[in-house]
Amino acid sequence: MPVWLDNFLWTYQNLVHALGINGLLALSMYVVLAVGQLSLGQAAFMGLGAYSSALLTLKLDLPFALVLPVSCVAPVLFALAIGTPTLRLSGVYLAIATIGLGEVLRAVYLNVDWLGGALGLSGIPLRAEFWMIYGLLGAAILVLWLVGRSGIGRAMEAVREDATAAQVMGINLARTRLGALLASAVLAGLAGALGAHSSSFIGPNEYGFEPAVTILSFALLGGIATPLAPVLGAFILTLLPELLRGFSDLRLVFNGVIIVLAVLFLPEGLFPLRMRRRAA
Amino acid sequence: MMRRCFVAFAAVLAFAAGSAWAQDAVPVGAIEILSGPNAAYGTAIRAGLDLALDEINATGVLGGRKIALTVEDSAGNKDQAINAARKLIGRDRVIAIIGPTLSNEMFAVGPVTNERKVPIVGTSTTARGITDIGPYVFRTSLPESDVIPVTLKKAMSRGVKTIALLYANDDAFSKSGFDVMKAAAEKAGLNIVAIESFGSKDTDFSAQLTKIKALRPDAVGISALVEPTSGVLLQAHQLGFGRETLFIGGNGANSPKLGEIAGAAADGLIVGSPWFIGKPDPANQTFVADFRKKYNKDPDQFAAQSYDALRIVAAAIDRAGAADPGKLRDALTQTKFSGVMGPFAFTAGRDPASTEGVVVLEMQGGKFAIAP
Repeated sequence: MPVWLDNFLWTYQNLVHALGINGLLALSMYVVLAVGQLSLGQAAFMGLGAYSSALLTLKLDLPFALVLPVSCVAPVLFALAIGTPTLRLSGVYLAIATIGLGEVLRAVYLNVDWLGGALGLSGIPLRAEFWMIYGLLGAAILVLWLVGRSGIGRAMEAVREDATAAQVMGINLARTRLGALLASAVLAGLAGALGAHSSSFIGPNEYGFEPAVTILSFALLGGIATPLAPVLGAFILTLLPELLRGFSDLRLVFNGVIIVLAVLFLPEGLFPLRMRRRAA
Repeated sequence: MMRRCFVAFAAVLAFAAGSAWAQDAVPVGAIEILSGPNAAYGTAIRAGLDLALDEINATGVLGGRKIALTVEDSAGNKDQAINAARKLIGRDRVIAIIGPTLSNEMFAVGPVTNERKVPIVGTSTTARGITDIGPYVFRTSLPESDVIPVTLKKAMSRGVKTIALLYANDDAFSKSGFDVMKAAAEKAGLNIVAIESFGSKDTDFSAQLTKIKALRPDAVGISALVEPTSGVLLQAHQLGFGRETLFIGGNGANSPKLGEIAGAAADGLIVGSPWFIGKPDPANQTFVADFRKKYNKDPDQFAAQSYDALRIVAAAIDRAGAADPGKLRDALTQTKFSGVMGPFAFTAGRDPASTEGVVVLEMQGGKFAIAP
């Protein structure tokens, strides 16, 4: 590899990683929005994935190929535990409940010394590779796309548009919603583990309310018409602050203005193109 | 003939290129929080850096070369701080980085610069374990473990024997300050009668304070940022804590905002500081006068720390004799400097070696003064 290319890749390595990881997070938001649930527990799932994977690496030094799949276990168990009670809620009540759960976890990270407390966990080796992140992202998009085109996808859309009508048509509401929540937990857990292993430090405040809203904004900006749309939304929101470095002090202002304009003029998201389905 | 001509031509070219290189500015980077809620720290640090840069570039380093300082914003975000470090090293080819502002950011950025063997010098990172990241990580900010023992010594000279500790347990800065305060109090032989904690955004501390009041400690040590510290002092005042109880602040209390928020309730609090605007030595007086002239306002601790840090780096570049990160690292370890913070050298662990510059301050009438 030529030196300049090596250097270029090194310079943008973290940004490229962050793009893929935020893409996975956008998908984890997408799957719950796809069944019409405003569930904001993605940051909490991501935190569980990040903390469990970081601990496995730091305390037991397990190989990353093993750590990565295991890091989904904690978020999935958490999703199973909270799924049944919270999915009876809907709309803004579900949003509030899931944000609350995220805050509970944040308090746990802060108060358990073994988890690093407020100082977080540092010295995590950089083991997330480009191909892992983008391989998983590609696979996730593909699977969600195929599911979206299948009967399950129709069921999900029906639940989103009119839950009562869907139930009358024989769709199992609870199962569809819980399935989406579990998929969301897996995707966010993977993103958390990959994130922890590409920045060498994690702290409790990275998985609280603010990131939950950031993840929601990925899906809001891109829209949820296809699985690709929220991923593109995440790419744009992750790239913007870096592209706007030239504006120095004013860059967060520009960042905000661009997002406000996008939401005002494109309420369906930037990419409202719908998935094509075969006629049934 | 042709060939000799070519050789001569190449030699001239090489010479021209070489001397042009010698005149090139020496690239140095900085990563600070310039936007978002913590921008106040980053802007103060940048002001200190710019002032130092003016002075350094008046004469230059390495025989007249200027330092080209690129300051990148991290917005207080770990990922943006890493991106900034990679951009500074990969694209701007800096030979040293100053910053980042927060310890959390340093834990993420330090491993990156260390991997590329570029020295990084923290000017405001006080948490434990910063310089353990690697041999290229330095800091010029005194860790709290150096400041707090000096403060406690002053308290004990006033007859303090028992102490209660109170801290915010949800941010790294306050928690790490508390750990240090507890260890230092134990080491100094103080009797710790109570340990209570709260959240940084709490507004009611009466439960903790009532419990502490019943135990009648000689002193109360508080490790928290300035806003919650002010809240604690205001409520302690209302609950009837008098001047017989000495309040001792951690680094978070070391801000003029304490007097602005807590007013008379803060009077009598003592805090250790690596720097004080009223330090009478001529170096400090010149710095304060120059800063006021350039910015029309008073410098704070962060500006003073970064002002010294850039001058320490510039002096090390001169001693290294070349714009080379590896040589600069070695030169930095040999630092013997006297700045506005007092005499400065690095320990073998790349932390500040001397606590001579630490002054203990006392709140009097809403303003800090050197404690009697």
